[in-house]
Amino acid sequence: MIAALRRGLGRRLPLLLCAALLALATGYPVLLLFLQSIFPDILGGSLAGAFDAYRRIIETPELGAMIGTSLGWAGAVTLVSWVFGIPCGYLLARTNLPGKLWARMSLLIPIMTPPYILALSYVLVMQQGGFGDVLLPIPNGLRAWFFSFWGVTVVMALASFGYVALAVEATLSTLPRRLEDAATVLGASWRARVRHVLLPLTVPAILNSGLLVFLEALSNFGVPAVLGTRSNLPLLPAEIFYLVTSWPLDLALATSLSSLLCLLALMALYGKRCLAQWMAGGHIRPGTAALQPLSRRWIWLGWGWIGGLFLFSSVLPYCAMVLTSLAESWGGDGFPPLTLKHYVALFEPGSRSLWALATSLGLSVAAATLCVVIGGYIAYVSVRSSGPLRHVLDGLATLPRVIPKIVVAVGLILAWNAPWIPLNIYNTVWMLLLAYVVIYITDALNYANSTVRGMSPNLEHAATVLGAGRYTVFTRIVLPGLRPALMAAWLTTFIVCMRELVASVLLLPPGVDVTATYIFNQFEQGDIAAAMAMATVTIVISTIVLVGFQFRRRP
Amino acid sequence: MSVYLQCQGLRKVFGASVVLDDISLEVQEGQCLVLLGPSGCGKTTLLNVISGMLAADGGELRCNGRLMDSAAKGVHVPIQERGLAMVFQDLSLWPHMSVAENVGFGLRIRGMKANDRRHRIDTVLEQVEMGGFRDRMPNELSGGQQQRVAIARALAVQPSLLLLDEPLSALDARLREDLKLELAGLLRESGVTAVYVTHDQQEAFALGDQVAVLHGGRLAQLAPPEKLYDSPCSAFVARFIGSSNLLPFRQLDGYALIEDHIAIRVLAADVPMEGHCMVRREAVGVLDKQPFAETSDQVILAGVCEQTHFLGERKEAQLRLPSGERLRGVTAGHIPSGAPVWARFPKNAVRFLAD
Ligand SMILES: Nc1ncnc2c1ncn2[C@@H]1O[C@H](COP(=O)(O)OP(=O)(O)OP(=O)(O)O)[C@@H](O)[C@H]1O
Ligand SMILES: [Mg+2]
Repeated sequence: MIAALRRGLGRRLPLLLCAALLALATGYPVLLLFLQSIFPDILGGSLAGAFDAYRRIIETPELGAMIGTSLGWAGAVTLVSWVFGIPCGYLLARTNLPGKLWARMSLLIPIMTPPYILALSYVLVMQQGGFGDVLLPIPNGLRAWFFSFWGVTVVMALASFGYVALAVEATLSTLPRRLEDAATVLGASWRARVRHVLLPLTVPAILNSGLLVFLEALSNFGVPAVLGTRSNLPLLPAEIFYLVTSWPLDLALATSLSSLLCLLALMALYGKRCLAQWMAGGHIRPGTAALQPLSRRWIWLGWGWIGGLFLFSSVLPYCAMVLTSLAESWGGDGFPPLTLKHYVALFEPGSRSLWALATSLGLSVAAATLCVVIGGYIAYVSVRSSGPLRHVLDGLATLPRVIPKIVVAVGLILAWNAPWIPLNIYNTVWMLLLAYVVIYITDALNYANSTVRGMSPNLEHAATVLGAGRYTVFTRIVLPGLRPALMAAWLTTFIVCMRELVASVLLLPPGVDVTATYIFNQFEQGDIAAAMAMATVTIVISTIVLVGFQFRRRP
Repeated sequence: MSVYLQCQGLRKVFGASVVLDDISLEVQEGQCLVLLGPSGCGKTTLLNVISGMLAADGGELRCNGRLMDSAAKGVHVPIQERGLAMVFQDLSLWPHMSVAENVGFGLRIRGMKANDRRHRIDTVLEQVEMGGFRDRMPNELSGGQQQRVAIARALAVQPSLLLLDEPLSALDARLREDLKLELAGLLRESGVTAVYVTHDQQEAFALGDQVAVLHGGRLAQLAPPEKLYDSPCSAFVARFIGSSNLLPFRQLDGYALIEDHIAIRVLAADVPMEGHCMVRREAVGVLDKQPFAETSDQVILAGVCEQTHFLGERKEAQLRLPSGERLRGVTAGHIPSGAPVWARFPKNAVRFLAD
């Protein structure tokens, strides 16, 4: 009997191990955050003052208004992203627009750009006495509009409409043309076809990408911190950040606001699910789509649309960024003299900036590697097992997907700062590594998950039958099959870690910088050129790594 | 009865290849025309020209007297205005609409009121025996049921012309058999004018009032099924219709020479100088003993039995002639393969066709 038990345990061991690891890394901080939000003194071992913080939220009208603003703003960002992105998706998938490759590339650039860098660049463009003031005549009315609700909305939408465009394109380009032909033959005009056939079938993609944009906007820290503060637009993530970092700390309010943010995110997810079920359904066997021939005028309009978005989402901000990093100063009129001195200063041995760059690189490589190794293994174990434990594992693994990064970061602060933690990992760089892994392991999991699902278990059985052990099966059969997916996951994780702002700002020990915090802090302290030089370098490094991988992939 | 659909010299070119060449045909109102031919002969292309999805490069297309397509006159009526309905090969039901919504779509586009629409949907679904499935989604239906719904969707709008592009070819053989007969009944009952594309000869015969055999983009023959079966106009058609023996022949001084030793007296004007002669399998008797006296109106050919097989109502034997040609016919008992056999058929059962 004991032998049987041990055998059962042996079989379950990987699953248990994975579940325990995830529970410690993700479940524990999030749980602690919820508990602390309810019992403000729980870290001191007391359950006194239950729901105090929530009572304060209800009783303080400004906080309620801020939550409303946050929701409204995220909704507005989603709407504007739809308006920007859906026509792009249609143009790419359903028309014979020339130069689609370029159009697609123009969508990838804003997706690759971190929102806070976009926001900083726009501050440069729009600020009085900045880049824009010297080179572009910016009317005061436009400036006032920009530093307001809708201006901030548009910047965030410029950073996110690419997701919508690509998702819509992916769906529209696999809708079989017969579905439309069938409607045409029955007398449906172009409009009726779009309304009754194309749109309902695209709704899931539109909703999914919209949810992604909504959640990102709701929980994004960079844009609210950079633009929200300048536009008198108080938003939740910036407020939470403020509560955790400025004296006097108000952890109770911070955690309860974080919990609310989580709740809102979950509600958005649930709402999307209901909407999707109500609005559309049905599976489509992918086919080839029909291309609508465009007249000359429409080609111009289409390229005007895509080109205009490219101008505002990429060309203008990048010009501002690069020019600022190269400019001597923006004092006088006209074009400033150019210099490389900010870059020279950036790479000066022993300087803070060089350390920041090195720290970022090291952390990103380590985090990406850990994410890929752990994520790949967890995905494999989870897909290849069954039972209730598996659902727990899946649930834990998807937590960071819905829980905003800033909330995870706050949870991690609590969790590793608690009195019962023996290790002194808080206030070291390792804390940041842990945070990166916890936050970004979902990407690796997703990539690996879908690949493992596509791999037939018989491949492994075939090896097992020949006498291969569990370890051999994993390293010889599974890993090689997972390699392309894991490479892609590594790349994605590396790039997002290189630019990770919110966890870094919250968790870095004093005196240590990563690129994002360096950019952020230098900018706020007025050394704009240094900030922009660092931003340029970060983006160049990410691009080089990306391109390097592309070339290696097709030898 | 009047002519409903009229094609005159239709021509369609893709790049350098001529896919439809000088197609002229007519369909009477309420009749079903079947376009039959091997893969790649241009059936779908012709159907697409009729539906308006493709514009013809030459010739004219008229529907009910109205000019629909004419490259010369620059006329091309858009699909929406042709009042058609179409059934596709790949069961293209809209996956996000229920059965009733799929069927009602065309009615909705035509602005029919909800009440009348419901009534009409019920009637049509009853017609295709799918009455109990109104509220199902397409992915909850079997392939055959989906195709019934697709047919109902097309019939619902009471189209003046119904186009069907291999509607049964995605289904398995048994189902195809059942649906074929049902569809024939439906078409006749609803009195719709139809153009039906298939590469299956059985389907063509079951459904067509007229069958147009296409070959390499040209119209090889247009005739009712019986006529097509009895007197195909070329060896290609005979071969495609199947169940015939074809033997090469050449004409010499008023005689057609088969297998170089059988001569049949023919009218030189009616028979090409060379080609293939056709003998139906049912007309050929295969014997395992040499028949005694050769009557003058019968042909007897000696060969070696290759195989016999049982076809239910009769037994068929295949034999090989000394020239290497094969011949099939009816036999009474089992003949071992390799045994010498004789084929016998009346001279007047032979048709002489050009290649
Ligand atoms: N868009 C096109 N461009 C170039 N050639 C085409 C195009 N569509 C069809 N063809 C060619 O025209 C010929 C006829 O095609 P069609 O689809 O009409 O054949 P079909 O008789 O319907 O064949 P099947 O029974 O396989 O469906 C084929 O040789 C095909 O390769
Ligand atoms: Mg075809």
